[in-house]
Amino acid sequence: MKERLRALDPRLLGVILALMLLGTLTLFSAGRNTPQAAIWLKQTVWNLMGLALMLLLANTHPRRVLRYSFAAYLLGLAALLAVLVVGKKIGGATRWFVVGGQTFQPSELMKWVTLLYVSQRLGSRPADSIGRLELLGAVGLVAFPMLLVQRQPDLGMALSFLPILLIIPLMKGLRMRWVVALVLLVTVGGFGAWKVALKPYQKQRVMIFLDPSSDLQGKGYQVNQSRIAIGAGGLIGKGFTSGSQTQLNFLPVKTTDFAFSVWAEERGFLGVLLALGLFGLLLSRILDAAKAAHTNAEAYFCAGAAGIFALHLMVNVGMVAGALPNKGMVLPFFSAGGSSTLSFFLALGLIMGILYRSRVK
Amino acid sequence: MDPRQRPLLHRRLGVFKALAWSLVAVLILIYAWLQLVRHGEFKQLAMQQAVKVRPIAAPRGLVLDRNGYRLVDNRRALHLVIQREDLPSRPEVVEALAQALDLDPASLARKIQSYRFAGKGRPLVLKENLDESGIALAERVRARFSFLSVDVAPRRVYLGDELAGHVLGYVGEVDDELMKAKPGVFRLGETIGKEGFEASGNDKLKGVDGQKRILVDQLGTEVANFGQTDAAPGRSLYLTLDAGLQKVMQDAYGEEAGAAVVLDLRDGGILAMYSSPSYDPNLFLNRLSQDMVDRYLNNPTRPMVNRAIQGIYAPGSTFKLLVALAGLEKGVITPQTVIYCAGKKNFYGRDFRCDKPTGHGGLSLVQAIAQSCDVYFYEVASRLDVDDIYATAEKYGLTERTGIDLPREKRTRIPSRAWKRKAVPKDPKWYAGETISVGIGQGAVGVTPIGLARFYATLATRGKLLTPHLFYGFRGDQTNALEPGPVPPAKETPLDPRMWAVLDEGLHEVVQSGTAAANPFIREVAREAPFVGKTGTAQVATFVDKSHYARQAKHLKDHALFAGYAPHDRPQIAFAVVVENAGFGSTAAAPIAAKLVKYWFVDRLKNPLPPPRGRMVDPFAPAPEVAE
Repeated sequence: MKERLRALDPRLLGVILALMLLGTLTLFSAGRNTPQAAIWLKQTVWNLMGLALMLLLANTHPRRVLRYSFAAYLLGLAALLAVLVVGKKIGGATRWFVVGGQTFQPSELMKWVTLLYVSQRLGSRPADSIGRLELLGAVGLVAFPMLLVQRQPDLGMALSFLPILLIIPLMKGLRMRWVVALVLLVTVGGFGAWKVALKPYQKQRVMIFLDPSSDLQGKGYQVNQSRIAIGAGGLIGKGFTSGSQTQLNFLPVKTTDFAFSVWAEERGFLGVLLALGLFGLLLSRILDAAKAAHTNAEAYFCAGAAGIFALHLMVNVGMVAGALPNKGMVLPFFSAGGSSTLSFFLALGLIMGILYRSRVK
Repeated sequence: MDPRQRPLLHRRLGVFKALAWSLVAVLILIYAWLQLVRHGEFKQLAMQQAVKVRPIAAPRGLVLDRNGYRLVDNRRALHLVIQREDLPSRPEVVEALAQALDLDPASLARKIQSYRFAGKGRPLVLKENLDESGIALAERVRARFSFLSVDVAPRRVYLGDELAGHVLGYVGEVDDELMKAKPGVFRLGETIGKEGFEASGNDKLKGVDGQKRILVDQLGTEVANFGQTDAAPGRSLYLTLDAGLQKVMQDAYGEEAGAAVVLDLRDGGILAMYSSPSYDPNLFLNRLSQDMVDRYLNNPTRPMVNRAIQGIYAPGSTFKLLVALAGLEKGVITPQTVIYCAGKKNFYGRDFRCDKPTGHGGLSLVQAIAQSCDVYFYEVASRLDVDDIYATAEKYGLTERTGIDLPREKRTRIPSRAWKRKAVPKDPKWYAGETISVGIGQGAVGVTPIGLARFYATLATRGKLLTPHLFYGFRGDQTNALEPGPVPPAKETPLDPRMWAVLDEGLHEVVQSGTAAANPFIREVAREAPFVGKTGTAQVATFVDKSHYARQAKHLKDHALFAGYAPHDRPQIAFAVVVENAGFGSTAAAPIAAKLVKYWFVDRLKNPLPPPRGRMVDPFAPAPEVAE
């Protein structure tokens, strides 16, 4: 056991445990005096399972994991198709399998499987250059599961596939200027078309295609309450389990999408600094792993993983502050949920394994 | 190729790291903006929605009669409710609950749904004002549905039921119209008096609401109390009403429609006022059911109208006293004037008939009043202009509202030339023939029972214009005794003693030898408590042949009136009695007046009600059964 624990990178583990502690405290406070009082315990169970999974993967050679990536990708696609047919519909979306009272969201895992397979594919090709076919193939590999996820529909989740498409080609040699040009084109073109060319009903169609739940009421209310919670927290916060927005239930969905608002209200700006600093260290350490990786595929996976974590961080923390649109994207370690927790730990386990191999050799 | 040897990959990773930290930095800036720069503003918003100032309703004062018997009490009412946080969501539970309470499942489900999303704080009331069987039912049902609770709320109780419905009125929630009409005066959901003295005495009864600062959650449920200022209860007060006399009056009416008023001649206090049919204010405290609407609001007998102050009746012969007074003051007759009655008399080419077709012969004023001779007063009226009659009516306060402290009193209608121009623009000219009808209180003349009673009070007091009122005084907080309130001012318009004497004599003769003397009961009462008054029979429709009279529909029969005062030598009370479609004043209205006089001056003193000391006695409770 001691031997196996040595596979864990102490710096990354430290950051993970610290963020877990913050998340558990947040959930304890958010669940108080609600029917979800035990959610922090439930999440702790998921976290412990996640840690075990991470330990297992850290002790597995990354090569062996990558070897199964294609099979996993096919299996994932099958699962995404299956969920559209036999999945449970909750709040207008079909995203979940129900097994023995437990829900499982295959798209959470599929994101990482896709990243893994794309990394494996492009990593086995010559480095520092990327052919048109290669690029097109990668786009296809990512677009297929993305579209299946958008069918559920789940725009937030579909968007979280995007870092794979951006980061891996860049690592492989795609000129930065092309990416910058593309981003500029899409932004300016899209904005221009929105402002000038599209008629209102067309805009509405686009909006409804992108986010079928956008016509439902209540999102503005949620974000408004979240901003009040964050702002009222001030410098040092209202104190643990003392946030009025949280404890009096003004803050909505506070154990998942808006968990970070709970932390911000009760621990204040100093708590936010601590949490965001830890997330910064997490991303930094994952990128260190990319640098230390033995193979291109491993490096791509780490960099892509950093991208996905960064996107979750940006969208969730930015959303609850009202800086970004309300797209339900969870925040790792803070938002409660089994599928996402296990998936995050799976990725972190792989990264641990990559770091471990780079050290021992 | 070993990726660690790739400079491009290193460059890119360097850029990514920089981007990762910039993301963290941007997020920190956003939070610094919200939490440091705009902290005050958001703190305020969080406070505003979590800390509420809620009013604490002040209990209304009690209403007592002049002796201290409770007319209006406050009792605790129990309601079976579901608190908002306990609203059931499972349809089968809602269905079972509806079945257990005998409610419509669909409407209950709708109600629960609407409470879940709208409104704040108030629990959903399933059954209100539980009685004993209701409480038993509630307990049984609560054993099965633990989310139910029983709420305690104050409730007004009108002890006499229909006894003084119109006088007391009832309370209810302030409505939107009133809130808009008087902004800033009422708070939403406040209980205010809607009708009767509850409405006019609202300011006296209502007290001062307290308030509490509480912490509420998102559903509006109180979580913590930060402190409160208690409500100051409204003061209890005495009315001038005498519950016993009121009861006698109510019983005297029975099924008949009409209204009666008894005034205290010392100060104008109303000793009794009843409008029949009456209503039970207690029924208005529950939400109006269709049954209630049918029973009261759509009833053709219009029980919601307080006939004592809102009913306009032709005064008939009771008006002759005013005509006589106008004639005397104008000098067209003297106390000694004798006029010959031949059963009818022709004025302006038209025959005006007397009640007695064979004629009264030569009559003095006193005899004319006693016999209620029409021809005498046709003649007096013919010597006057209608504006002379109006001027006298105005002088003795009959043209204005009495100013009683009840809402929506109607003005009496005394015709004049100016009145006709305004009221009948198509035919604005006043015809002299119309004055003849006014002479016997017919035609356009219309008075309220309260106005008529006040005019007879003016006669009784030899020219004092009292202001009828119900408010007697507050109950002392410590002493529990009456603290008399201010008496509304009376105006003096002294009557000439010689003129007064002949009118008083005439009224005396009505009861002793005149129109009211035939009834043995009246004679008997008049012996014990000498009362005086004038009968009146006001035509609702004119009949060609009086033999058809008895066969006519009830609603076409004449209104019967009697107005007067008692006792004769030193008057203490004045009264007016109107019985609708009852026939002659002497047979239908005068006996009611006699009953009132008998109670007030004889029975009340012989068999006094038990004193309402200590725990107040409810005079309307059935007498306890005495074991033989």
